[in-house]
Amino acid sequence: MRGWKPAPHVLLLLPAFIVLAAVVVVPLLLSLYSSFTPFRLTRPDTIYTFIGFRNYVRLLTDMDFWVAFGRTVLLLTFALNLEMLLGLGLALLVEKATRGQRILRTIMMFPMMFSPVLVGFQFKFMFNDNIGVVNNALQSLGLTDIAIPWLIDGQLAFISILIAEIWSSTAVFAIFILAGLMAMPREPLEAAKVDGCTSWQSFRYVTWPFIMPFAYIAMTIRSLDIARAYDIVKIMTDGGPAGRTEILWTMIARTAYSDARMGLANAMAYIAILLSILFTALFFRQLAKARQQIGAEW
Amino acid sequence: MATVSLKNLVKKYGQLEVVHSINLEVKDREFIALVGPSGCGKSTSLRMIAGLEDISGGEIHIGDRVVNDLPPRQRNISMVFQSYALYPHMTVAENMGFSLKIAGKSQAEIDAAVAEAARTLSLEALLERRPSQLSGGQRQRVAMGRAIVRNPDVFLFDEPLSNLDAKLRMQMRTEIKKLHSKVQSTVIYVTHDQVEAMTLSDRIVIMRDGHIEQVGTPEEVFQRPRTRFVAGFIGSPTMNLREAVIDDGKLAFANGASLPLPMQFRNAVSVGQKVVFGLRPDDLYPAGHGLHSGEAHDVHTTQVPVSITEPLGNETLVFAEFAGEDWIARMLNPKALHAGDKIDLSFDLSQAHLFDAATEQTLRS
Amino acid sequence: MDENTAHRLKGRFLKVGHLIGLFLAMTIICLPGVWIVLSSLRPTVEIMAKPPVWIPRELSFDAYVAMFSGVGQGGIPVLEYFRNSLIISVTSTVIALAVGMAGGYAFARYRFRGKSAIFLGFMLTRTVPGIALSLPLFFVYAKIGIIDTHFGLILAYVALNVPFTVWLIDGFFRQVPRDLAEAAQIDGCTRWQAFWQVEFPLARSGIASAGIFAFLISWNEFALASQLTRSTNSKTLPVGLLDYTAEFTIDWRGMCALAVVMIIPALTLTFIVQKHLVSGLTSGAVKG
Repeated sequence: MRGWKPAPHVLLLLPAFIVLAAVVVVPLLLSLYSSFTPFRLTRPDTIYTFIGFRNYVRLLTDMDFWVAFGRTVLLLTFALNLEMLLGLGLALLVEKATRGQRILRTIMMFPMMFSPVLVGFQFKFMFNDNIGVVNNALQSLGLTDIAIPWLIDGQLAFISILIAEIWSSTAVFAIFILAGLMAMPREPLEAAKVDGCTSWQSFRYVTWPFIMPFAYIAMTIRSLDIARAYDIVKIMTDGGPAGRTEILWTMIARTAYSDARMGLANAMAYIAILLSILFTALFFRQLAKARQQIGAEW
Repeated sequence: MATVSLKNLVKKYGQLEVVHSINLEVKDREFIALVGPSGCGKSTSLRMIAGLEDISGGEIHIGDRVVNDLPPRQRNISMVFQSYALYPHMTVAENMGFSLKIAGKSQAEIDAAVAEAARTLSLEALLERRPSQLSGGQRQRVAMGRAIVRNPDVFLFDEPLSNLDAKLRMQMRTEIKKLHSKVQSTVIYVTHDQVEAMTLSDRIVIMRDGHIEQVGTPEEVFQRPRTRFVAGFIGSPTMNLREAVIDDGKLAFANGASLPLPMQFRNAVSVGQKVVFGLRPDDLYPAGHGLHSGEAHDVHTTQVPVSITEPLGNETLVFAEFAGEDWIARMLNPKALHAGDKIDLSFDLSQAHLFDAATEQTLRS
Repeated sequence: MDENTAHRLKGRFLKVGHLIGLFLAMTIICLPGVWIVLSSLRPTVEIMAKPPVWIPRELSFDAYVAMFSGVGQGGIPVLEYFRNSLIISVTSTVIALAVGMAGGYAFARYRFRGKSAIFLGFMLTRTVPGIALSLPLFFVYAKIGIIDTHFGLILAYVALNVPFTVWLIDGFFRQVPRDLAEAAQIDGCTRWQAFWQVEFPLARSGIASAGIFAFLISWNEFALASQLTRSTNSKTLPVGLLDYTAEFTIDWRGMCALAVVMIIPALTLTFIVQKHLVSGLTSGAVKG
């Protein structure tokens, strides 16, 4: 039809739309449909059977599922909060350094550049009960004489994974908060010193209100990627031994590919997606509020 | 007693020394101004007194305490910053009450103190606003309010009016002067504007390159500058300063021009000495149009051509050529003059200053 | 006098404490990587030694030789993995940047209804965990026959990166004043030329930052890659690392060597990119 010219912004957005639709939206719809079926890869015709919400019901009443789910939420909550605190501390340390800031910032960013699988591998090696450097160091220092089962015992493994995850992602927070610290005007801090504030009070009343938005931005960006934990767990313990470190995503992978129960796995996946969206939405709301604060006042 | 004394105060950045062992005694309740060009060390000295910069040498006493290593909050001082440094996320009332809150005072006490300060500075209507909603002058007053709320021993002002436009600056100058008469504390006021220093202070400290050139009342530094620098720095328009050589009873300038040696210097100089002759525009005028026309007693008049004039309404600044350069003269009851006109220019030599060209010190006894 | 000395001492304490804190932090950050590199150079005997040997007595590149010497007898197809990772990451980054530039420009320069809804939609696609997405993708790809191809992964990674590149590039274009393109058009450019001659060069460093991010995300991605690849035709380095650790559970030296092969590009990139990354991240995300 001659004369119909789509608005330029429509044209520009079209490639993005197409790619996302093809690779994400359509498959997700397919996934949704399949979650209502007892689909098994080994019996492809099962995709045409419709069983309604049975998969979901089965999941929501499955103890193992809830344990994995709970473990996932616990891991994320601990990880994100500790990363925020440590990132803050790291940013404060680096910001106060008078020389070599460039080197410090570069080193600070290393962990972010590593693939989570790589991070997982590093810690798998370090926490190995026989030859890992952690146990070796503890034994050489005389603090213990047994091989601590970092990756075998349920709780210790959780801690090991948590450490790996924190090591990997603290830098995200550190970078954003550092940017905030460097952008902050100095004189209100000096005024606070004159007004009688100790270092802690200066931080609490002047510094923190300023860098809060930056911290939230970091939180939001971080929350987009919480599934990185899957990579780490997969290589460190693969959800084991005996499911003691099973988290939501390793369970999905196992159900889908090892047990080949795709329908059920897709149901799990949708619950996982909902979890992701929840985390992100929560932080996005904080971010919008914080952005407003930045624009309006400083 | 809120005296401040600096004893051999030194500041070094690495190997570079920027404040060279200065000494100063500030009296209780005195308003003292630190003036000087950029980089002379006045702000650095103020910040050392505040505790915002480390001291490289010497001592600072506030009252009878040595405060060298004490953090600002233990020195009982207040400071008004050049950029006001208000807390953007707090209201005006919270800004002013912040230091009291940190000190643990009760809300009632804080409210009372804030209300009092707000009344003094006419800020009552603005108490619930945020700094971003205020004009420059209002922010400046809030900064001052924050400073007076605590009733400290010493007030420190770091170029507080520099960010304001000329008109506002004049207004705020008056406010500050009124404030001082009301609050009666010791004030140390840093500025690069000598007019502010002259109008506000009990004594002026003129600094240059990390040294103190002269300390004195505004009258003293204006009428009896100890060095060439002070003579040229204080007073607007600037004093005429020209190099000359002492000849027999005469001052010989470039181009063969000369003036009789002023009587007050007859015994202070020797023939052949290189000097700098200084005369304020007030004491240089077209004959009959001067500030002290009737009273002057050692006047030398000579004919000179006019270069340009700057009419100001009530007076005209006349730039006249003598000894190869333009000299600034103040003409009262101005008549129209044009470039090239020849006028009789009167030099009131009884008001002249003479400085040794090498040491730059005054030769007045 | 006592007050002053007390504070002076406290000041010194804090300075020393600060340095110690920094040192500790940097050590913790560098330690794992350094340990892996070291272990890859030590003979297996030393690694397994009990009591542990702290000062290495022998260093050699044997592990690397074995690794690069091909499949079988202790070798793994490192070069293939590396090649796959490189091709897939670079290609998907370039395409994601192109798509991102178009989309980012649309967001930055035009007003239209539903802007925030569309943006939200983009961001929501990013919240889908890789492993969850891999389920239907696996099925679809298998049906279409693009399992275990470069194309398949490239396509997936483009979709993965587009929301982020659009967001960042949107921010960067917003910082380029609108009038410049208009001035260029008055000077005789077409809209297209105005973009390439004026707006693009100004946003270039920001776009580069976005590109670096996209590259890193593709290079390091595991969840999708692990399911959508089957053989050395398309397996990437992260998948290779997992395979290796699963297969050779006691050849720590060899595993470390492979890990080093993955660390080195990451570190090199960090050095090159450090300044860029921080400013790119913060200005694009914060001001945008």
